[in-house]
Amino acid sequence: MSDVIYLDNAATTPVDPRVVEVMLECLGPSGDYANPSAVGHPPGRRARARVEQARDEVAALVGADPSQVIFTSGATEADNLAILGAARFYRERGGHVVTWRTEHPAVLDACRQLEREGFEVTYLKPGPDGIVEPAQVEAALRKDTLLVSLMHVNNEIGVVQDVGAVGRLCRERGVLFHVDAAQGAGKLPLDVNRDCIDLLALTAHKVHGPKGIGALCVRREPRLGLVPMLHGGGQERGLRSGTLPTHQIVGMGAAYRIAMSEMLPDGERIGGLRERLWGGLARLPGVLLNGHPTRRVPGILSVTFDGVEGESLLFEVPGLAVTSGSACAATSGEPSYVLRALGRSDRLAQSSLRLSLGRFSSATEVDAAIEAITMAVTRLRAIAPEAGE
Amino acid sequence: MTVDDPRYGVEVRRRMATPSGVGELPPAADVAVGRAGDREQGAAVVLWCRVADGRVSEACFRAFGCPHLVAAASWLTERLAGATREDLLAWDWREAAEALQVPPAKFGRLLTLQDAARAAAGNWPGGGSSTV
Repeated sequence: MSDVIYLDNAATTPVDPRVVEVMLECLGPSGDYANPSAVGHPPGRRARARVEQARDEVAALVGADPSQVIFTSGATEADNLAILGAARFYRERGGHVVTWRTEHPAVLDACRQLEREGFEVTYLKPGPDGIVEPAQVEAALRKDTLLVSLMHVNNEIGVVQDVGAVGRLCRERGVLFHVDAAQGAGKLPLDVNRDCIDLLALTAHKVHGPKGIGALCVRREPRLGLVPMLHGGGQERGLRSGTLPTHQIVGMGAAYRIAMSEMLPDGERIGGLRERLWGGLARLPGVLLNGHPTRRVPGILSVTFDGVEGESLLFEVPGLAVTSGSACAATSGEPSYVLRALGRSDRLAQSSLRLSLGRFSSATEVDAAIEAITMAVTRLRAIAPEAGE
Repeated sequence: MTVDDPRYGVEVRRRMATPSGVGELPPAADVAVGRAGDREQGAAVVLWCRVADGRVSEACFRAFGCPHLVAAASWLTERLAGATREDLLAWDWREAAEALQVPPAKFGRLLTLQDAARAAAGNWPGGGSSTV
């Protein structure tokens, strides 16, 4: 049993015990462990049925047809397959891609790879509240724009983008639209048809499913082409070769089914905890909320504590599992590129914490976190010289 | 069960838990102040030294920075009692790095502390600032 309060659910979540239960049914000698592609015998067909049920569950969460779902190892692979696969397939149509500076590295690094292959990428900057305005997209589109890639929910600051508005704009202009929904799927309503999403990257482990499994929803009508990245057995309609990990896929399906049925109560409860956390921390002087105040996913809070150095702040709260503003570049110690893109100075970006709540977070934990952070901030400010010293 | 963070040695953890030497001295003719660093760069230190008979009689600090820097500043103020201006000028950050097991990635932060020590020597009561 951990004695640390886990407030890093944006990084990953514990697997829901209900999900663990169905995963275990696919692992042992008496379970559905067979290769789902081996449909020539009953165990294989049982495993295949499990996979197809999970495919239905994943598709249902995002309003897709099950035939649109391609299982991958996670959102990073799904993002790469979407961006690289579509750009390479349609490169005759255009060589321009639009994305944002605040996207996840899985998108940004895939776009940099496209640049190495001769594509041109425009990296737009969101507003200081992290929100992307559709007009900004419209201004960035060119005749040769092939693809727009926008994340649904930002992983560091939790702001929610109006993907439907951007999707409809892209659809009108004949531009492919990719959405990285790793942080938003299962927490907020999402519909690939309503929101005109051609490529939707998903993952299981952000919503109490297992790590190592994700999916890419690919538009079917009209059929969208992709150049696969993995070659082999031709699984997943040839788009993602490799033996299907039944237990992982079943875990993702269960996690998405639970997320869909509990989205509303979970969202209300977790959003309430986030407001309780922010209310407690905001009593400290010199505290800033990062990102739009209301267009937020329920579980993510990013806060800057002026006058406190980020690493020392983390050091002072060993009982909390949280990340600092430099967490996404922990090895380099560089301030968060997301906070910098919003206009925060290096100093303020380094003086920031991301606190993220999940299904198993409690009010008691939130109150303990408020107390621990308040003590740490007060103590470090007492050690620091006055500003301007 | 919590696991100790291997980035921080025992002495850094101890000094962060109970940092000795935190404080400041009011401006006075017998007080040398050394400032270095910049919060914008992630490290800022102010050292105060009261001087009597050519030697430090009392020292304290304030620091903004990582745990290694705060611990090193605390460690240094304990060692400054009895130091001469020349001692401050000669003090080298490597002493603190060795004593506190500071990883190479943080050596630059300790240079800020060395700069503060030299700035204090430059403001030594009775003159001498032109030599720094």
